Amino acid sequence: MSRALFAVLAGLGLPGLLPALAVARSWAVAVFLAPLIGAGLAAVAAEPELGVGGSFVPWYLLAAAMANAAVVAWWFIAPRRSPSPAGPPWTWSIVMVAVLLGAMAVPLIGLRTGIIGYDGNVIWLTHTSLVSGGHRELLAGLQNAAYRFSNPDYPPLVPAAGALALALAGHNDLRVAVQVTAFLNATALGVVGAGVAAVASKGRALPRMAAVAAAGVVCLVGFSVTECYYSVGGYADLLWSAAAMGAVVWGLVLPRNTQSLAVAWICAAVATLTKNEGLAVGLVLLVLIALRYRPLTRLWPRIRPRSGRLGAPAGRAGPDPARRRGVAVWPAARTWAVRAAFVVVPALPGLAWAALVRAIGVRDAFFASASAESPGSRAAATASAMAVHLAVAPVGLAVLVVGCVFLRRSRRHAGLANPAWLWTAGVLSLAIIFATYVFGSYEIHWWLLTSVNRTTIFAQVAVYTDLAIWMVIAFGGGAARAVRDRPEPAPVTARTH
Amino acid sequence: MNSYPNSRRRGGERQVVTRIACVVIICAAAVTFGLIVNHGLTSTAGELNRGSTEAWARFDRQQACIYHAIRSQLPKGAAVFIADRDVYDAQRLAELSTLWAVPQPNPATARWTLSLVPGQACSGLSLRVRRG
Repeated sequence: MSRALFAVLAGLGLPGLLPALAVARSWAVAVFLAPLIGAGLAAVAAEPELGVGGSFVPWYLLAAAMANAAVVAWWFIAPRRSPSPAGPPWTWSIVMVAVLLGAMAVPLIGLRTGIIGYDGNVIWLTHTSLVSGGHRELLAGLQNAAYRFSNPDYPPLVPAAGALALALAGHNDLRVAVQVTAFLNATALGVVGAGVAAVASKGRALPRMAAVAAAGVVCLVGFSVTECYYSVGGYADLLWSAAAMGAVVWGLVLPRNTQSLAVAWICAAVATLTKNEGLAVGLVLLVLIALRYRPLTRLWPRIRPRSGRLGAPAGRAGPDPARRRGVAVWPAARTWAVRAAFVVVPALPGLAWAALVRAIGVRDAFFASASAESPGSRAAATASAMAVHLAVAPVGLAVLVVGCVFLRRSRRHAGLANPAWLWTAGVLSLAIIFATYVFGSYEIHWWLLTSVNRTTIFAQVAVYTDLAIWMVIAFGGGAARAVRDRPEPAPVTARTH
Repeated sequence: MNSYPNSRRRGGERQVVTRIACVVIICAAAVTFGLIVNHGLTSTAGELNRGSTEAWARFDRQQACIYHAIRSQLPKGAAVFIADRDVYDAQRLAELSTLWAVPQPNPATARWTLSLVPGQACSGLSLRVRRG
């Protein structure tokens, strides 16, 4: 286990540390973000290994060097901006990191059993060996029909991180790669936890302590919904789900700022590089983040001709509304271009892998052939199987309603986004998974039995995270509302009694 | 003249209702978190018992044994066909032969056939290698 920890800290964490610090501007967040960035760089390195040639490690070193050089160049070149607003006290950061590490340590005790799950063994260790073997082995292996059982089109983050661990620890014990995946699961949950803790990082002592406790609980919950076998047995489902949840918390919950956006992008990129479901859900999340940071409503005043009661008086609105509309086309096009860049740039590594594997003739096994079962029967089976794993959703919905009715202003006062963003992300992820089951080719009952507990992890963690956020706001006691709702002082003349 | 006390009372009532809502949310979240965390800890404890730990250690030894058996009984780059009736064992053989042998989807292109049979060599299993 110590060799895997060394691989995560030294092999993945060190190359990712500087970019993580530059992005998050907080050492407490960087502790958890750095290994994820390192794993993302490893996945990026596997792409030229497959598409161009050479071995994995030199490509990884090049990717890590380029990322760090880019950070250093940005540091020197970028204009000095005003210092960021004062963050939480450093003692708070230390307590938060300690609580999160403690919360992770409990489920990671499961590593002592030496579990190697089915996927961890026959899918991810096979891919890890292929990535370790260099260009020829990787290309031939992914194209080899004898390996079709291993879903050769799966993205490369887990195998690349494992290959790096084997390069550092030696190939004698393949279990090291499985343990690295478990540690990456923990770091992804750590990023989610750090986001939950940030909800009240500048508030009063009680909500701040509640936020730290909630962050630790969210880490424990992530492992709990996945269960020990799947969270430490080398499965990638918790990793993509937790990374996607990190993108939701930092991109769709916390107040809008550059740091949060960058952390959300990195988390989304990690999700897209981890599993096919992660790619689909990650793209949806990036679209939602783009819409939150570049809202559609900003477009309307530019397009809509100002006339009558909506804008300036008609006589001063200009002679030709159509001409005004034409003038607005360029800003509108630019805004859409920015939105597209918000989606495409972070998703580029994941999309590049999907394009690469299709270019070498590897196809997705889920939709290889049409199913003999009717879509209706598949949909019914899928709905009932998913419902079993979403038993927490009614509680989450009830808390959402109570929170929206009574604590809406407190939430707004904290600068948090509307909870509709988080719930939309959860519902859309479920819709994607649901459609995959309904239109996929495998026998539905076997497929659901072997996977639905893992494909619903993201939605489950989303509901628990929303619960945690409402709990933190509730610990504030609706303070913002109480202040705002304080009645206006009565006129002095009216104070007769 | 009495609008101020009324509005103050309304504000006070609203504050009480808000406090009750906060308590409801905190209790609902605490119970829900308690249940799921308990479930997680129970599942981890279940995996940590002695029987489970020994079973996984045995599986790990078996994997390592098969890995080394493939490398000792086959030349590097050997074209192999995996003919194991057990789907999981067949997939394990493909995984463990990666980077040493080259699994073939078709027996016609393979020079060796691999399977796992009951035996003593690898914790209840033995690697069976047949030529042709």
